[in-house]
Amino acid sequence: MLKKLALAGVVSLMGTTAWSACAFENTTEIKSLSAGFEAWKAVTDAMAECGNVQAELDQEFRTKQPAAFEANPSLYHIGGVSNGTITPLLNAGTIRPLDDLVAKYGSHLKPNQLIKIDGKVMAVAMMVNTQHLMVREDVLSEMGIPVPTTWDEVYAAAAKIKDAGKMDTPLGATMKSGWNLAQEFVNMYPGFGGALFNDDNTAAVNNDKGVKALETLKAGMQYMDPEVLVSDSTYVQQQFQQGKIAMANLWASRAGAMDDEAESQVVGKVKMVAAPMAMAGGAPATTLWWDGIVIAKNISDEEADAAFRVAMEGLDKEMVMANNDAAIWLVDGFVPGATAEGAIATATASPAAPAYPSTTRMGLMHTALGNEIPAFMTGERDAAATLAAIEEAYTTSAKEAGVLK
Amino acid sequence: MSDTAKALRQPFALRFASGAFLVFWCVLAAFPIFWITVMSFKSPRDAFAASPWDVITGPATRAAGNGLSILDIVVGLVVLFFALRWAFTRLPDLVARYSPPGMIVLGWLLGAAVYALVFVLLFFGLLPLILGALNGVLGPLGQPVLGLTTQHYEAVWGENEFYRNFLNSMLVTAGVVTISLTVGTLAGYGLARSGSDLAFWLLILALVFRALPHSVLVAGYLPWFINSAEILRPIFGEISPTLYGQPWAVIAVLVAINQPFTIWMLRSFFQNIPAELDEAARVDGCSHFQAFRRVIMPVMWPGVITTGLFSFLLGYNDFLVTALLLDAQNQTMVPAIAGYFNRETTTTDQVEAVAAAVSITAPLFLLVMVFQRQIVSGLTAGAVKG
Amino acid sequence: MKFRTFAAFVGPSVLMMVFFIALPLVSVFLESFKVTQPVMQQVEVETCTPGFLTQTCTTELKTIPVIGADGKVETTTQWQGLQSYRSVLQMDKVWAAIGSSEIGSILQIDFWKALRFTLMYTLLTLPLVIGVGLIIALTVNNATRALRGPIIFVSLLPFIITPVIGSLAIYWLFVGDGILTAMMERWSGTNISMFAQAWTVELLMYFYRVWHVAPFAFVIFYAGLQTVNMDTLESAVIDGASRWQRLRHVIVPHLMPLIVFIALIHLMDCYRVFEEIVGFRSQAHVISLQWLTFDFLVPDDAGNRAISRASASAMLTMVGIVFLLIWPLRRTWRDHRGGAH
Repeated sequence: MLKKLALAGVVSLMGTTAWSACAFENTTEIKSLSAGFEAWKAVTDAMAECGNVQAELDQEFRTKQPAAFEANPSLYHIGGVSNGTITPLLNAGTIRPLDDLVAKYGSHLKPNQLIKIDGKVMAVAMMVNTQHLMVREDVLSEMGIPVPTTWDEVYAAAAKIKDAGKMDTPLGATMKSGWNLAQEFVNMYPGFGGALFNDDNTAAVNNDKGVKALETLKAGMQYMDPEVLVSDSTYVQQQFQQGKIAMANLWASRAGAMDDEAESQVVGKVKMVAAPMAMAGGAPATTLWWDGIVIAKNISDEEADAAFRVAMEGLDKEMVMANNDAAIWLVDGFVPGATAEGAIATATASPAAPAYPSTTRMGLMHTALGNEIPAFMTGERDAAATLAAIEEAYTTSAKEAGVLK
Repeated sequence: MSDTAKALRQPFALRFASGAFLVFWCVLAAFPIFWITVMSFKSPRDAFAASPWDVITGPATRAAGNGLSILDIVVGLVVLFFALRWAFTRLPDLVARYSPPGMIVLGWLLGAAVYALVFVLLFFGLLPLILGALNGVLGPLGQPVLGLTTQHYEAVWGENEFYRNFLNSMLVTAGVVTISLTVGTLAGYGLARSGSDLAFWLLILALVFRALPHSVLVAGYLPWFINSAEILRPIFGEISPTLYGQPWAVIAVLVAINQPFTIWMLRSFFQNIPAELDEAARVDGCSHFQAFRRVIMPVMWPGVITTGLFSFLLGYNDFLVTALLLDAQNQTMVPAIAGYFNRETTTTDQVEAVAAAVSITAPLFLLVMVFQRQIVSGLTAGAVKG
Repeated sequence: MKFRTFAAFVGPSVLMMVFFIALPLVSVFLESFKVTQPVMQQVEVETCTPGFLTQTCTTELKTIPVIGADGKVETTTQWQGLQSYRSVLQMDKVWAAIGSSEIGSILQIDFWKALRFTLMYTLLTLPLVIGVGLIIALTVNNATRALRGPIIFVSLLPFIITPVIGSLAIYWLFVGDGILTAMMERWSGTNISMFAQAWTVELLMYFYRVWHVAPFAFVIFYAGLQTVNMDTLESAVIDGASRWQRLRHVIVPHLMPLIVFIALIHLMDCYRVFEEIVGFRSQAHVISLQWLTFDFLVPDDAGNRAISRASASAMLTMVGIVFLLIWPLRRTWRDHRGGAH
């Protein structure tokens, strides 16, 4: 106990002297608000080395960020966003263009990292994320099954494993009702070549591609845990770690956990491959995501200057080298390991998977999907009725939000 | 008289059934809490293992070199038994003897805190040191048989600086209890002694307020709290505060949400204090406030303590209000724990969350242990009478 | 008591309630008849996002809000009467379902689905909570005096534990191959999934609520039992009343005010059921009224929240609770009239 206390003291001492890791000493008070996953912990820790940085990693950031950036002065200087959550900030005009700051301090950034809206840099991306297929290589090769590349092959492989009595539920899926389940549809439907919207913002899901997407989702349920409608990424990750499932289309940011000795019983046995295609010759049925930083508009230019410099320290080579496997980094210095293979294969496939669209209507559609699809999965409603209900729910909320007249 | 006693004595079957039910209920009541406590001491692989036996014995935890030997278990249980016994028998006397008159509540709080601190130091500090030495000497008896690790607690309280959340929780809870009771006793007394219809309608209105879904209220506050500096600037000038993230703003909200329940309970309690008492004081020339201070305050403590406990639970356990209206610097414990369960968590995070959850239950344990008698006597004295 | 003195005593409390509860309530009420929208425009936007190694740029027609001269989004606010209530209630569908006598399809509309569950949840757990609470109180009162302290302590645990944590503790016991599910599986020999169908999820939620609230009822009943008039009890014995008759005719009437009190508190708390939906992740199967309101209010990734519909659903929730409270309130009114000072 005492030794531990002493150790803790030493560590905290190191924490204060570690300024040396930062290229400059920051004297302006900087606050940041972001999500709380592993990559953000790494980045904000690196930012904190510059001093006077207060990082908030908050699971409610989605609710707080738009309002907090709208206040004058803004309550935070740096925001952590993804292509989904940047939308409200862009719409309200509460984040500033970064072109001059990039010119001043961002010479080391790769052009790929600069998120440009109408030619202006609005955010600096640090990592990409996508859902791709993870498979238990040992199980597949033992049964002589080739690595599946389409959903049909995935289900065929699942059937084989199940019939052989190897596993009761060979397939896992992040189908927790709400956001996760909606995301599965957002992956699958464009995989069949469907577009979610018409040009006039009305919904366009009620067609045979929509039916196919829904039925493909449901077809997998016979190989899944019956409780799949409560399973989120963490649950699927645990199923993998405990050796209960052999395949799942899971977030790339989860790949590292498969090889975590302390948690996983399948270290070294899980292989990452591209997301399966919904139909042969199509794009992988998934969407590409990025995470990155934005700088608030309602702060003084000096503060913005300091905030950006601090952020750049957070996104530097040393940080990536120290946390190489925490994410698929876009930052210079990243060495793609075995766990990154699947994400890279997905992102470089041809035709490529689309990026998740950052639009107002997409947010509304995502909610409508998340609320209406569960009734289809539990068998309360057929596909056609569900798609009609989705369109109706979307129309109601789009009218309320002013997207539709 | 003996007839009555005989009639009141119960047949064996009834006594047995009643005892059996009680045992069943106690197991039911304690089991989920016992189980998460067990989980919190295991490595992630054991904590979520499918077989209950694995969760209890923790093979993976033991394999990692963390475990208890038979000696550890025996000595630990003996120490635990005596510590608990002491808490129930000697501690009350000590507190009664050393706390200044009229400050018994404060004495209890201090006593409980000191007791908890000494216990933690002894049990997790001194005991492992002694037993570690003994285990080395004893051979087979000293071999670990039960996997157990405190690493999650160390991670939660050390690395994750959970004590900050603990202090914030204490601040918010203390604020809520004090203000809630101060404002509530006044109002409760006023309502109890005024027979007017206005008082009745106020009470009914308070009940309707209590029934409001909190999510509606809280979402309504958020934009005002964030922009309060801008909104208040024309009135207060440059000193106007941003309410978002301020513990005292959250305290105000929680007190308001808690008021209906507090005034209802205290009103019923005051109604059971005979009105003749303060009327006599009034005849002697006291104003209402003086009567309240001299006559009512000395006898109101049982009811106030009981009501205060409910306020404590509300402030301490609140999630919705604190999660939305506080920033990370001032975050209380419950939302901090929920933070472990966001979209991107690992199994280790989850076991750490369990450890944090068990940690925040400990003060509640102490509180109920200390105030158990007061709760029952306060309620008996009529803090609730419909 | 003079009005001024009364006002001085009650003032601070009323002020806080007005400021933090009544004012927001009024604004919610007004909000439910209004709709506030940003002024939208359609513009062509080029967006460049990272691929791996190279960027992909797409140009598309986006609908984005107009930003005014003051740097804020321009909005318009319109009174729209009962439109929000119509969107929540969807009465046209309800009538159609009644017309075609497919009553079941009403329950596919979110509001009615939530109302069904909330009402059933409230009304079914009420007698259970009171019954279980009373039994625990009677048995504890029956136990040896030395054991009562520890038993009361253990009994209070489910009530004092943080609700979020309590529901998670129970969730973990049953989810997937949680140990209790595994135990039931071994016992029954079939594969059981507690979270795969609506009725088992609902059952667990009933169980959780009774587990959580019965201790509250217990401690209040237990306190009430300490003041049972022994003389009445003894004269009942002399009259030859059986144990059951004594319980029914002496003890329960004595506890009646407490039963009403618990019923009142339970109706209010249970009608607001929310934590269980989140804790048990039951959205796919059952939702509650407060969850529905919350779901309207939580912004999606794009920052949209359905404030008008949330307000309407909150007001409808309010109306419901007022109806439920009428019975216990009438009793309180009688007491007030009878016991006025």
